[in-house]
Amino acid sequence: MKGREVFLWVVGGSAGSFTPVRNYLHQMPYRQEMAILLCLHRMRNPRISMIEALGRVPEWRVLEPDDKTFVEGGFVYVAPADYHLLVEKEGYLSLAVDEPVHFSRPSIDVLLQSVVQAQWPRAGAALLSGANRDGAYGMYLFHKAGYFTAVQDPADAEIATMPEAALALFEPKVRFPISQLVEVTLQALSL
Amino acid sequence: MFPETLPEIADSDLEQFFQIMLTQYGYDFRGYAPASLKRRLGTVLKRYGLADMRTLNQRLLTQPDYCERFINEITVSTTELFRDPSAWIALKTQALPLFLSMPQLRIWHAGASTGEEVLSMAILLTEMGLYDRAQLIATDIDKRSLNQAQKATYPLRNRALYEQNLKTVFPLSSLDKYAREEEGQLVFRQELLRNVLYLQHNLVSEGVFGLFEIVLCRNVLIYFTPELQDRVVMKLVDSLVPGGVLMIGTKESLFWCSAAKRLVAINESERLYRRRQ
Repeated sequence: MKGREVFLWVVGGSAGSFTPVRNYLHQMPYRQEMAILLCLHRMRNPRISMIEALGRVPEWRVLEPDDKTFVEGGFVYVAPADYHLLVEKEGYLSLAVDEPVHFSRPSIDVLLQSVVQAQWPRAGAALLSGANRDGAYGMYLFHKAGYFTAVQDPADAEIATMPEAALALFEPKVRFPISQLVEVTLQALSL
Repeated sequence: MFPETLPEIADSDLEQFFQIMLTQYGYDFRGYAPASLKRRLGTVLKRYGLADMRTLNQRLLTQPDYCERFINEITVSTTELFRDPSAWIALKTQALPLFLSMPQLRIWHAGASTGEEVLSMAILLTEMGLYDRAQLIATDIDKRSLNQAQKATYPLRNRALYEQNLKTVFPLSSLDKYAREEEGQLVFRQELLRNVLYLQHNLVSEGVFGLFEIVLCRNVLIYFTPELQDRVVMKLVDSLVPGGVLMIGTKESLFWCSAAKRLVAINESERLYRRRQ
């Protein structure tokens, strides 16, 4: 499946999210009708790339998209370090080097807002552990636009700032412990 | 309500904006990728406390002086000395050696922004003993950025990063050779700019203006729609002598552009290409 028919599943997180996300990807059943957009804050010049750090994920194709990559199901697109990742109405991903948002580039808010602006037909998002409030407002916009939203239970998050910031703005469809992220994803996809 | 709030931008207001910029000022924004353009317009509205896009349109329509400042705000000037050091290493080891025996080396920085990339090139040429043969043309749509580029003065907080990037490309070199601290700023030696010409040039609406051995256009194409990118890449390739080198941003992609068949990769992962003979 390609372009706007694909279900976009955004996973945003920061400090305390990386290892859970790696485990999640290794457990997540392959779905050719969905693409996962991974937006994790990271060091600017990490010694190894996020792709290497994620390891070989069964079936899913994991990559850092180039600018103007057409969205395809069965892919995990990892926001590259030092670029904002955005979704364009025409069905492709674009990159930008605009100012960081909440000191973050990539910024989860920027990605989520772009999905809303693009009026993407089917999408959902999960916000995980993190030490700043990036993503909270974008999740709120997502929620307002009628998309499925899930926020990690702050009590379960290694660092609660990010999920708490989101929960202060709205009540998501689901609050979940990280161990249930696969189920939450499948629930979002099935709606 | 929230500090992150960016104003919504209606398509009809965006259309009016395109018209004003095109007819009043000759800037064509229609080919800019909408997601990031809307974002940046939202940021400008917020920064100037403008209620909505209509107010901005009104201001652009009635205050021509405002336009120059607006162009500076709306264009993205994220750049640094030797940004993506591995790409510069590829340029140093795989591209510049092609021109060692040439009597002249004409280089075009398309979208030179605040000048860090031009300085990187000037340092690269100096280190390789090629500077005196080189003529560098630095162009940008934004006059204010070019003025800043000519001053070659940057915040001191960038120093550590610049030094680190420089040392990645030239381990034995040091920033002290090229810049000094002055009143809390990092000031590059004007000598580095003696062969540089700064020109305002609009990549979207203006044509090819010369032939070059090397053209750099990095992180400019990402702001364009696929259609506009295709047109601009054609101009860039038209500006190269046969065998000339094109360098784009490391996350930009041109394999689908119509001009791609006129290029061969020197180093695909660093986005370094050569025009076919």
